[in-house]
Amino acid sequence: MTDDEHETTADGTGEEPPVSDGGTASDGGAIVDDDGLPAGGVPDTPHEDDHGLPPTHSIRRWFVTTNHKDIGLLYTVTALFFLIFGGLLALLMRLELWAPGANVMSAASYNQAVSAHGLVMVFWFLSPLAFGFANYVVPLQIGAKDLAFPRLNALSYWFYLFSGILMGISFFQGSTFNGGWTMYAPLNTPVYTPEIGGTTTVLALILFVASATVGSVNFLTTMHRMRAEGMTLRRMPIFTWSILLTVWMMLFAFAALLAALMLLSSDRLIGTGYFAESSPGGAMLWAHLFWFFGHPEVYIVFFPALGAMAEIFQTFCGRRIVGRKWFIGAMLLVAIQSFVVWMHHMFLTSINLEIKTLFMATTIGISLPFDLMVFSLIYTMLKGKIRFKTPFLFGFGALVLFILGGITGVFLGAVVLDYTLRGTYWVVAHFHYVMVGGVTGLVGGLYYWFPKMTGRMYDETLGKVHFAMYFVGFNLLYFPMFLAWETPRRVFEYAPALTGWHQLSTVGAFLLGSSFLVMFYNLFKSAFVGEEVDGQPWDFASTAEWTVPSPPPLENFPGVPTYASGRLEFDDGGSAQTDGGAVHGKAAALPGSEVTGTEHEGGESHASIWPFVLGVGAFLVLLGLSGLQRGYFPEGTMGGMYIGTAVVGGVVAFGSLVAMTRERFHGPEGPFGESWPFTTVENTKLGLWIFLASDVILFGAFIGAYVFSRVAYGWTDWHHLIPEAHVVLPGLINTYLLLTSSFAVVIAMEFAERENRLGVVGSLVATVGLGIGFLVNKGIEWQHLFHIHTEAFPAGWDPGTNIASTTFYVTTGLHALHVIVGLVIAGYMILRAWNGAYMGDDEPIEYFGLYWHFVDIVWLFLFPLFYIV
Amino acid sequence: MSRAKLYTVIYVVLFVLATVQVVVEQAGYLEESYWMAFWAIMVLSAVKAVVVAGWYQHLRWEPRSVTTLMLLGLLGAVALTVAASYSIL
Ligand code: HEM
Ligand SMILES: [Cu+2]
Repeated sequence: MTDDEHETTADGTGEEPPVSDGGTASDGGAIVDDDGLPAGGVPDTPHEDDHGLPPTHSIRRWFVTTNHKDIGLLYTVTALFFLIFGGLLALLMRLELWAPGANVMSAASYNQAVSAHGLVMVFWFLSPLAFGFANYVVPLQIGAKDLAFPRLNALSYWFYLFSGILMGISFFQGSTFNGGWTMYAPLNTPVYTPEIGGTTTVLALILFVASATVGSVNFLTTMHRMRAEGMTLRRMPIFTWSILLTVWMMLFAFAALLAALMLLSSDRLIGTGYFAESSPGGAMLWAHLFWFFGHPEVYIVFFPALGAMAEIFQTFCGRRIVGRKWFIGAMLLVAIQSFVVWMHHMFLTSINLEIKTLFMATTIGISLPFDLMVFSLIYTMLKGKIRFKTPFLFGFGALVLFILGGITGVFLGAVVLDYTLRGTYWVVAHFHYVMVGGVTGLVGGLYYWFPKMTGRMYDETLGKVHFAMYFVGFNLLYFPMFLAWETPRRVFEYAPALTGWHQLSTVGAFLLGSSFLVMFYNLFKSAFVGEEVDGQPWDFASTAEWTVPSPPPLENFPGVPTYASGRLEFDDGGSAQTDGGAVHGKAAALPGSEVTGTEHEGGESHASIWPFVLGVGAFLVLLGLSGLQRGYFPEGTMGGMYIGTAVVGGVVAFGSLVAMTRERFHGPEGPFGESWPFTTVENTKLGLWIFLASDVILFGAFIGAYVFSRVAYGWTDWHHLIPEAHVVLPGLINTYLLLTSSFAVVIAMEFAERENRLGVVGSLVATVGLGIGFLVNKGIEWQHLFHIHTEAFPAGWDPGTNIASTTFYVTTGLHALHVIVGLVIAGYMILRAWNGAYMGDDEPIEYFGLYWHFVDIVWLFLFPLFYIV
Repeated sequence: MSRAKLYTVIYVVLFVLATVQVVVEQAGYLEESYWMAFWAIMVLSAVKAVVVAGWYQHLRWEPRSVTTLMLLGLLGAVALTVAASYSIL
């Protein structure tokens, strides 16, 4: 392990090549440094290398930026806003729990507060805060100029922000979702939660998942393809490792959640019956889908905190983490295991005893690697020389809290104990210790990276005051919950004997809440008037973000970063050398301009308004759709407004997509040295494949829902639910049509290679024609089935008739939506091909083909499952 | 043109396999021995999927890691489906 990043420390602090090596390079650094200050009163003279971005004090900057550091700041600030939102809801609840029974809120309001608090904290605060850091720090740590798809990164942010706004709006549409953050069935169906706001919450979550999925694809492509030379996976800093594993888990876990949410939206908007009480296994179906996502999710929110803690421990203990390799291995193991423990959340459901036992075993298994990580952190402290700065205090506090939370989780993992503890405050206390333990680590991260992000130091005394209030408040808040564990979860009734504990808890809650006032004051003030810092305020910080100025210039590095020698260096860039001195001056003014050579022509714009506009469009579409209830919009003007909103949103979204494809924009391409294991797979292609992998889970979960429901009903009795008129032929014809259209795409590629314009146009037209034929055929089939009149189905066979019709229409409907998207893309490509695009360049057609063949493959399974067997 | 020829042969094979699936059903095998016929039909689908992925999507010519990536997704979906279905048996 001699080649570890630790060596960078010694050298980084000793020589600091990029920052202090005098002369030319530092000039460049200094200039951009000023220009890049996010908060100071800095010169707004347009710099030659501002990437087409307005200065940071201009509001416009924040709407058009695609730079990862800007977006990191946006995420961080927005997440903190949602912390306040979720926190106020929590304080309301704690007030209510001052004494048993209704005191300040009605039962209905309390349900809203409980549900929204959980959703906001888990989705809109915790993960996005981590992603603020990930955005800011990961490219710096791996030596990249930006993420692979900067505009998609902006899009992730805007989707995130607008999903949160949608969530807020849901409060004003009757009621926000009030069935608990786990949204169990059948409470999540319109029978029990009929309010429009409930639907809006679900749709807001869908938008959030879209944001997370786009983000995962982006980070995965970046981290696999765009590492600097020598930055092998083995050498990658631990925080970056934790993010890499997090986004892998996100890619798969969020796809399952997306499936669950889409099925639920279908129930709520169209009136299908996945989760209705009439559906066999409907409640279980939700639980499986939700927890298949939900358990990985707890690590998705916890891993970044763990990564931040590890970095903080290294820096403030002044040594590399003990057993670094093992630490990473343990994280990797947990990431995999996290997908096979989900049923420990279902011990009290009707799942059979064998599977309960199995999942108890896997749950015990997953706690083992955690022990290793905990010991490694402890040993790092013992063997190092600790400096008790605020970030370390929070990191250390997080460790203590996590140990307590983990131990109490093991209790819950035991089936027998869970019979007693489930649904009580024991669970509430457990997951707050782990999850808010994670928050503690991230707060440490916030103090740790604050000087990097702002160029100024926070006030250390106030930081320590914050920690003291936070840690005391936290334990005062949550520890009594273990003692008052007999309190039932999610209601405000409890045995009067427990009142004392709850009052202690409420006092703790207000202490914890007010500690954040100290933090906000401290950070806000310091961002403007704090002591200015150079690139490396901590000493011993070993990762690459500390080798560049604070805040770093737009293009991050003064040259091509490389770790080839075992430590971080910056190449001037081969081609620039020949031009000699004169150019060198320019290189200093344009640090990093050589990084990608030809790609980055000076002055090219990295500003784009379209991600924001697309966010607005998506927001309006979903807001409009929320009015749809079981197939009907509200009567009168209200309904008109909902429909109008959706239509306008659709136009805006479509327009911005077109605009985005027409805009000239280059992200960094790579590879820059290390791209294992995707060295030969170009960025866009890899991004597409990664996206398709998540789509496999999405469709897999839809098909899984069908299989599960059918098993629950009785597999071979299923045909009782299906009318005679549902025959094989339309399905077979559609199979032929899709296969042929796939063939046409392959042929289009051949023509493109041979530069035959009419051939390309012709084959693409054939593709689209066959696709339209597919849809028309399906439409005729559906119309027929909707309107049959038989003894068994006197009122037709529509999506809401029974679980068989529900699964049939929704699963093949999702597929049809994929077909429609493909046709739109293909239509656009026909226009371009007509104008002579793709001649000798079949890549775009190949990429479209990847998607189209995937849609074809899905149908190859839907056809037998829904038409034959 | 040999590649175009290969693609055409593959297309014909896919077409035939789809037809065979329906033939299995029409010939009444599902009634005769349901699970045999069921798995036969599903395996045919799997074969078609592998062919489309391997040749039309060029997975054969991509690094192994891309295939692994897709198999991971598939593994997740299958694990979820099988374990969930088993849990209520
Ligand atoms: C040390 C390993 C852990 C074990 C053995 C464990 C075990 C469990 C078990 C068995 C449950 C189900 C309890 C019940 O509902 O009856 C549970 C609930 C929960 N755990 Fe953990 N856990 C661990 C770590 C974590 C971590 C790291 C987090 C988050 C960062 C977390 C967050 C949660 C949450 C949010 C719930 C409640 C879910 C709900 O609302 O029903 N756990 N834990
Ligand atoms: Cu769990």
